[in-house]
Amino acid sequence: MRKDRRLHWLLLAPALILMAVMLYYPMFGTVYESFHETSFLSPDPKFAGLALYRRIVADRTFAEVVVNSIVWTFGVVLLQNILGFLTALLLNQNLPMQGVLRAIVLLPFILPGVVAAILWRFMYDPQLGLVNSLLLQTGLIENSVAWLADSRMAMASVIVAAVWKGFPFSMLIYLAALQNVDQSQIEAATLDGAGPTRRLLDVTLPAIRDVIVVNVVLTLILTFNYFDIIWVLTRGGPQSATHIFPTKIYETGFGQFRFGEAATYGVFSILVLAVLVALYAIVQGRANRRRGVA
Amino acid sequence: MKRSLLTAVTMGAMLLGTSSVLAQQVTLQFWDNQQTESGLSDVQKAAVERFMKENPDIKIEVTTVPYPEYQQRLLTAVQGGNAPDIATLDQIWVGAFAKAGAVADLTEQAGAAALARDNFFGGAWDSAVLGGKLYGIPFNVDVWQFSYYNKALLDAAKIDPASLSTFDGLKAAAEKLTTNGKFGVGLFGHKGEDTVVVGDSFIFSNGGKVLNDDGSCGLTEAPAVEALTYLQQLSKFAPGGILNASSGDMRELFLNGSLAIEFWPALEQPTLQKSKLDWGFVSGTAPEGKTPVGTFGGWNLAIFESSPNKDAAWKFIQFMVREDVNGDVVDLIPANKKAATAFLEKNRKDPKVIMAHLENAKARPLSPRYLELADAQIAMFQEIYAGGDPAAAAAKACEAINALD
Repeated sequence: MRKDRRLHWLLLAPALILMAVMLYYPMFGTVYESFHETSFLSPDPKFAGLALYRRIVADRTFAEVVVNSIVWTFGVVLLQNILGFLTALLLNQNLPMQGVLRAIVLLPFILPGVVAAILWRFMYDPQLGLVNSLLLQTGLIENSVAWLADSRMAMASVIVAAVWKGFPFSMLIYLAALQNVDQSQIEAATLDGAGPTRRLLDVTLPAIRDVIVVNVVLTLILTFNYFDIIWVLTRGGPQSATHIFPTKIYETGFGQFRFGEAATYGVFSILVLAVLVALYAIVQGRANRRRGVA
Repeated sequence: MKRSLLTAVTMGAMLLGTSSVLAQQVTLQFWDNQQTESGLSDVQKAAVERFMKENPDIKIEVTTVPYPEYQQRLLTAVQGGNAPDIATLDQIWVGAFAKAGAVADLTEQAGAAALARDNFFGGAWDSAVLGGKLYGIPFNVDVWQFSYYNKALLDAAKIDPASLSTFDGLKAAAEKLTTNGKFGVGLFGHKGEDTVVVGDSFIFSNGGKVLNDDGSCGLTEAPAVEALTYLQQLSKFAPGGILNASSGDMRELFLNGSLAIEFWPALEQPTLQKSKLDWGFVSGTAPEGKTPVGTFGGWNLAIFESSPNKDAAWKFIQFMVREDVNGDVVDLIPANKKAATAFLEKNRKDPKVIMAHLENAKARPLSPRYLELADAQIAMFQEIYAGGDPAAAAAKACEAINALD
């Protein structure tokens, strides 16, 4: 028994050491820096207590970043999961050329984030972009829209780009879950006279409930931390209209050399992520227990 | 037997000789960035080979980093204690690197080597001076902006290109040219330094300042606010989406004939020369009777304080800014004035116009906190391009700038 435990720790050790060095050390370093005035100009950290926190919270940009992060995260997660689920439902049917269809749908997910963002930058171009061209041709708009330059439109525009990039991820997970739904239950429901909607609501959704919850929480974490698309499309602009935590941290740290303040933004970000990760652990634990009971 | 003994002794002596050269040889890490696909790195490699031939005791290892990653890579290297020996620094970074103690004071070496302001463009030299000390040697320069124009569009509208040099002339031309789906002038206001340098040039040309002589913000002074108001009026004749547009975004519109006038540095010429477009340019824009004042851009060569081989590094810098070398190793314009003259004659259209604009250009404020200062300016430009009150936008920017210590 003791030998087994030793072996467990021995096998875990490389991963734990790697995590400690690559993850926890920088994370605690960030927390430490957030209580110290430190920048490229004054690299020796000077203890500042909560001064940086007070300064950041008093800055109106902080409130904008918080609101933007909420809108961005929930907007992307909601749309990405709805679109991913609907696509999975469609691809779960016995359609011809199913393999090809799945490959096509997966394409945005395979593209690197920066490439996807550049693609959308071209598509959103006010003068030459595909989006305006299509909308003008179909008469849905009368004048070109500056999708990324108008602070009222910019957040919605980056959300659409992110949903396009991310929905295949959700789709993949939902498709795998749908393929594991007990077919005999669906057949039984059909024999009892249940239509497609009733079968979906009463059989399929309850059967994949755990997967939906885990998927939503997982995409919440990934989306909150997403950087590439917004940075390439708008750099958080116009003004601060699309600044979220990761873009603000990057701009403050690497764009302005203010490491202490960047770390403080980082700590806020870590706190949100900690809550989301805890949520994920709880949800996953419950799902595992339910499966164990079943 | 005798012959083999002799051979062994000779080979031993040769090996000893080689190892003694190797022991004395120092290796310098030189970092540079690449802004364009100009094939510059090959030319630079040849120059570095030449330097190593002239100085067999010094080996140069060149690292070329793409421009978008360069600042972050350099910053991370300095913070991590892995700075190179020599690097090109953007003019606007020198203040911060000097204040942080990351780069060496070159005042004495420059004096001893007779490298002086007169050898270089004044604004470029000034961009390396902080507190009376010199922290870099100008390597390459350019000036924002030249007003490039589409000759066919101007001819069709019967506009004299010379009129683009004045505030009134440019506005009248932009208004006239904005018709039939075409745009008069390409303004850009994204979160990037090109937004700042063009805006500064209009402020400078109108007699305004970003910082006053005492270091306080000068953007609320009348000449600066007038220039901002002028830019706001000009924006009516620009393609939509200014707040997310860069100078690069305007290129496609200019090249396909949808845009009549665009603001770029001289570096844009090679791209335009490759196109079929009939184009010309004038040096910036100023009020009637005043000379347009451009904003300097460019890079300085700096030696890092952490370098154990500062003397060798200094030798390399002297070589790179030499009249017969400087023109071969830059893709902007050589900072050495004599090299610049030859370079412009060979590579650019209307070299005298460019030289005159360079001589008259001003450097951006040399502040250790320039990047934050520029962010405040970008917010100001975005506000005026979005239709905000120029005086109020300038006041907000000054509040942020004056709060920087």
